[in-house]
Amino acid sequence: MASTKTHYIGQWDTFHNNGPFPTKILFDTQLEPEGNMPSFMDRYNDASREIRRLLQDSIANNERFRAYGSAWSLSNIAHQRDRMHFNGRMNLKKPIDLNECYLPSSYKSENLFFFQCGNTIKEISEFLFKHGKSLKTSGASNGQTIAGCISTGVHGSAFDTGAVQDYVVGINLVIGPGPDDVVYIERSTRPALHDDFAAKINSRLIRNDGLFNAALVSLGSFGFIHGVVIEAEDLFLLKRYTRKITKEQALELAHTMNFADAGFKIPTELDANGKGIRPYHYKVYINPYNAQEDYVTEIIYKKPYRTDYPDPIPRIKTAIYKDLPTWIAKFAAKHNRLIPKLIKAMRGNIFPDLDVEMEGTLGEIFCDSTHQGPAFAFTLGIDHSDTRRALDLFIKLVNDEGPVPGAMALRFIKASEATLAFTRFPMTCILEMDGILWKGNQNMISMEEMEKRIIETFMAAGIKFTIHWGKNAAWSFPGLIDYMYGDLDDTWKNYRSALLSKQMADLFSNDFLDSVKLSDYSVNGLIV
Amino acid sequence: MNLYKTPRYTLVIISGLMLLLQSCYSVRISNVSGVPEPDPVNFDDGFYRGKAVHIIDTTVNLSLLENEVMVLETCPEGCFQTVEYRVTLGAALLSGITFGKMRKIKVKYVCLKESN
Repeated sequence: MASTKTHYIGQWDTFHNNGPFPTKILFDTQLEPEGNMPSFMDRYNDASREIRRLLQDSIANNERFRAYGSAWSLSNIAHQRDRMHFNGRMNLKKPIDLNECYLPSSYKSENLFFFQCGNTIKEISEFLFKHGKSLKTSGASNGQTIAGCISTGVHGSAFDTGAVQDYVVGINLVIGPGPDDVVYIERSTRPALHDDFAAKINSRLIRNDGLFNAALVSLGSFGFIHGVVIEAEDLFLLKRYTRKITKEQALELAHTMNFADAGFKIPTELDANGKGIRPYHYKVYINPYNAQEDYVTEIIYKKPYRTDYPDPIPRIKTAIYKDLPTWIAKFAAKHNRLIPKLIKAMRGNIFPDLDVEMEGTLGEIFCDSTHQGPAFAFTLGIDHSDTRRALDLFIKLVNDEGPVPGAMALRFIKASEATLAFTRFPMTCILEMDGILWKGNQNMISMEEMEKRIIETFMAAGIKFTIHWGKNAAWSFPGLIDYMYGDLDDTWKNYRSALLSKQMADLFSNDFLDSVKLSDYSVNGLIV
Repeated sequence: MNLYKTPRYTLVIISGLMLLLQSCYSVRISNVSGVPEPDPVNFDDGFYRGKAVHIIDTTVNLSLLENEVMVLETCPEGCFQTVEYRVTLGAALLSGITFGKMRKIKVKYVCLKESN
């Protein structure tokens, strides 16, 4: 039997120190050892029973329940003040066999894999590598769990590929305590697995495009995400370049995404006609406190896999003193006018080294990162055609209201089919500012006030935007969700209400969901 | 005259302390492959946050004919993910004055997460 340890923790924190948040209980579930239960499906279903037992216990105690993985989100989206469930040890994984596939299918069976919720991106990449496959994309690092990634819409900057949830083709949810409360959901227009697979994981099969798209970016509240089926692809290499780029060139590319005719070119990445090859990934780093400074671009091209490439992972890594970010935050709060000078002095730690070329697999290029102290991130999604206006507005805002201890970046992602994906524009420019968490005082704007000012400023300018669900924002800002998603939040709530009983919808809600008004329950399309 | 109030002597003492502190250091060896065994209630800042950390902190006495020490540990997946060995001035001095017969061992390690 899978077993669960109960920790009465009192308070819980995110990986990036965005708490602490009051929390009664943290559950930590361990799978039954393989030696005692050799069958993959038996272990998976045994874990599912354990989750149902925990849900029953939570109902009996009238407490809410929320699963989380690596706690990498910087908002309180993963937090639950009653009961939290750490799912990081639930990491079963298997390739999908041909006889488990829906036929005929738009997916190649050899590209389909089944992962339990607690597998991290790194674990998945290593497993796929052994099968000659790769994830299509990931975030900038690899520590998030797959369930956490899709729940909040983790993305990189593979602009023609999409975000992590965009290669998920099936979701297994535990939506209540009963044996019938396990469902496997796919799109009806693109089924991936044979009906028997759902039966093997003791699940009711639901094929419905609308429900699937709503459950993809579920904010952890469509039930316990127990497993996902993903579509991988053949192993490939990424060739990464870092170069200086002028502001004009960077913004021209952001606006047109036309790499063939752009003024900025990588001489070794041209086609036979001398036109720029379309890259896999395009990212721009910006120092918001120096208008004269050129930007830095990270530009990555996809290549066929081969084995004879130099190892991209450095043998020796050094790190700054672990308390340094805290000292800097305290110093910045007292002398915030010196922040631009601090950022200039720490350029080497903030921006990537210039004129570097390296090659590696996706897992090698977007590799391990470690905890570097309390961090914040403001991350907006905008239509890429608005990049210039939005960037100028954001830079002016942080200079007028700040300065605050952070640097900016632009990334790009095509639209997701997920109902509440924040990458919802045909080509979303992700305009982000990352930095060291700070507290405000009489000399310096607080982070909470800055979060509000960002929303007010962008709304006043009439720029349509979304916000990354896992990042810092004034989430309870009046009308925010409607401004970002129009009627889509109602669509999402209706599908959630259709899937979950009212009791379970409340159980899977949390303070975050309440604050963005997404915990409302609807009956026959009416919010009650 | 109170010497400790003289800036020059304070500086010397601070410099001495800094040098002593620098003489304690650790080196970490980490496996490029694999994922560390998680510990969801480890909220320590820095590299070990969220990881299940095991600590060996002991002193071993060797007999006259012995010259090697090996510490045997078990990881569920069979491999270490990270091993950090700490070198301190005190441990080096202890080994020196006992002609290598007393070995202070201070090691932190993290196992690989079980692969299922």
